[in-house]
Amino acid sequence: MLEFTMLIPFLTGITAIFLPVRLGRGILVLTALLHLLLTVLGWLGKISPALPQYFTVSNEGMLILLVTSFIFLFISIYAVSYMSETEISSEPIYTACTLFFLSTMTMVTLADHLIVLWIAIEATTLMSAPLIFLHRSKTALEATWKYVMICSVGIALALLGCFFVVMSMNLGGIHVPITFSSLGAVADKLDPVWLKAGFIFLVIGYGTKMGLAPMHTWLPDAHSEAPSPASALLSGALLNCAFFGVYRSHQLLYRAGLGDFSGNILIGFGLLSMLIAAIFIFYQTGYKRMLAYSSIENMGIIAFGVGIGGLATYGAMLHLIHHSLIKSSLFLSAGNVLLGYGSKLVDKTGNMAKLFPKTFTAFFAGFAGISGFPPFGIFISELLIIIGAIQQGRGISVSIFILALILIFAGASRLVTKMCFAPCDNPEILVKENWARTLPSFALLAASITLCIWLPDSIYQTILAAIATIGGGVNG
Amino acid sequence: MIQPSNALFSINHISDVLLSLTVLSVLLSLGSNRLMSLVKIMAFQGIVVSLTPLFLEHHEGLLENTNSIFLLLIMLIIKGLVIPILMYAAVKKIKIQREVEPIIGYHASLFAGLFFILIGAFIADRLHISLPMQNELLLISAITTLAAGLFLLMSRRKAITQVIGYLMMENGIYLIGTALAKETHTMYVVEFGVLLDLLVGIMIMGIVLHNINSSYNDVDTALLGQLKDN
Repeated sequence: MLEFTMLIPFLTGITAIFLPVRLGRGILVLTALLHLLLTVLGWLGKISPALPQYFTVSNEGMLILLVTSFIFLFISIYAVSYMSETEISSEPIYTACTLFFLSTMTMVTLADHLIVLWIAIEATTLMSAPLIFLHRSKTALEATWKYVMICSVGIALALLGCFFVVMSMNLGGIHVPITFSSLGAVADKLDPVWLKAGFIFLVIGYGTKMGLAPMHTWLPDAHSEAPSPASALLSGALLNCAFFGVYRSHQLLYRAGLGDFSGNILIGFGLLSMLIAAIFIFYQTGYKRMLAYSSIENMGIIAFGVGIGGLATYGAMLHLIHHSLIKSSLFLSAGNVLLGYGSKLVDKTGNMAKLFPKTFTAFFAGFAGISGFPPFGIFISELLIIIGAIQQGRGISVSIFILALILIFAGASRLVTKMCFAPCDNPEILVKENWARTLPSFALLAASITLCIWLPDSIYQTILAAIATIGGGVNG
Repeated sequence: MIQPSNALFSINHISDVLLSLTVLSVLLSLGSNRLMSLVKIMAFQGIVVSLTPLFLEHHEGLLENTNSIFLLLIMLIIKGLVIPILMYAAVKKIKIQREVEPIIGYHASLFAGLFFILIGAFIADRLHISLPMQNELLLISAITTLAAGLFLLMSRRKAITQVIGYLMMENGIYLIGTALAKETHTMYVVEFGVLLDLLVGIMIMGIVLHNINSSYNDVDTALLGQLKDN
């Protein structure tokens, strides 16, 4: 009964609505622990899905599920302290929606049926919208409206993509359940034209949710307006889940012998996202928006790596893990900064190194990590993607890739140095930092360093098995 | 392209009439600036669109299947009754009568609508080879509805008009689904489009609960338009 990983957060979410605030926070952490436990059991193969016609254990799904579950635990620990410092009118709603959100994301990672995956991704939109609207300000309202509107259009187009895939099945004269695993087995008999059309719509639809340019416009607003623990979840977990939809579609195309077509589309979207992020990150005035653009960039990197194939695919999977760890850590630190200075603008902050030494350490280390400095894992993943791309002879693409990385580093470091070292005009600290709100950030960063030095064999084998389905491998 | 038929009121004729009405309602909605009439047009379009599968040649077995009839009825009630009533309530609540200063004017919108019909015809013509049935009018009107909905969504400022655009786009997707559906198991995939109506319902509820008037860049209300990259 691997479905318990979905059911438990859902049920505890319902109970959290009716519980007093303090108890609700306890439930949040407890559920996170239980979820991680069940996920690990699923990893060890102790439990399997009870409804195999809709859900399955796929390698890439389990990888994303583990990452989600892991960061959720630390984010929920952080949220306990964060929520007691902020004034939120309806905290039970926050707790409940976070748990529902976890439940729907779990459903995405386990989904095998095309329509179940689609429903799950739609459900993540619905469950996360109240999180973005939590502060009930005008800007939060606008961000939520944009988020719901743009993602709904995306999800509608993804449904169209599902129709086309089913259409290709009809034309091929195949009668199998509409699941990725059974379609993958007969992929070569599917009608290629409709399959390609379906892929384009699926990538546009799920890519909207993933934050691929040019459909990314909701992302900076939503990530900057949501309370920091929710931003961390959106960036570290939700984007991966949307990527899962894209990945499964790409897998189907690869099995059907159309891997070049879908790979090139992914490379195009990936490079465009990186370039757009590189251009826009220069003009940012808010640090949470800066982090959001960095998420767009990193999703672009993952799409690029998957599109390239070979060694780069391995790099992309590593990147997915490390981006989630480091980015959610950064958003958690950004939450401390927001509590401390009371503003999302870089200009209102400053001299973090003196005023908030713990947060500064986590934030600066996270920034170094996300920019690709060792000993953090993104160094390795980006290096592998670049080597993989060069191996495949993609000279122009890889130069654009490197250019975008440099631009983003330049743009982001300008803001980060200002936040950390520039003198602060108004050195009034609203909320002091404490260990409860910095330890989760450190733990996530430490996880990234640990995985960089020592990657457990089961994770390594799972990544290899996942990328083998799209023609990736460590031997190029 | 359209199959000639001997009987005057053959099943194909009725579906053609319904599809023409759909395209007509699309053009009407592109040219209309009163929100109340837009809501009425959408109710009409919802009914027409949800009735279309009944009169399609390649869905003839539909009437014998109780499940399909049931699903069709649900679609009819949601698209033709529930959503329009919700929208009606929303328009009453936010007390705005008309769309002021659309991003793209009404004449230009109408022209764009005609252009979408052309595109639809072009695409339907190109796909001719691999389609299971002959009813190209269905595909043309479906693509027109989809494109016009997307256009309406992007070219209007009021939140409620954007929702109407989304609804129209969704109708287009439903039509495309029915155009492509042949086997019974495809029909059930198409019916999941009803979940998009759920999204529409939630958006309208958002409008009603939070009095959202318009989205970005509107100076008059200035409710939505604070978040920018600068």
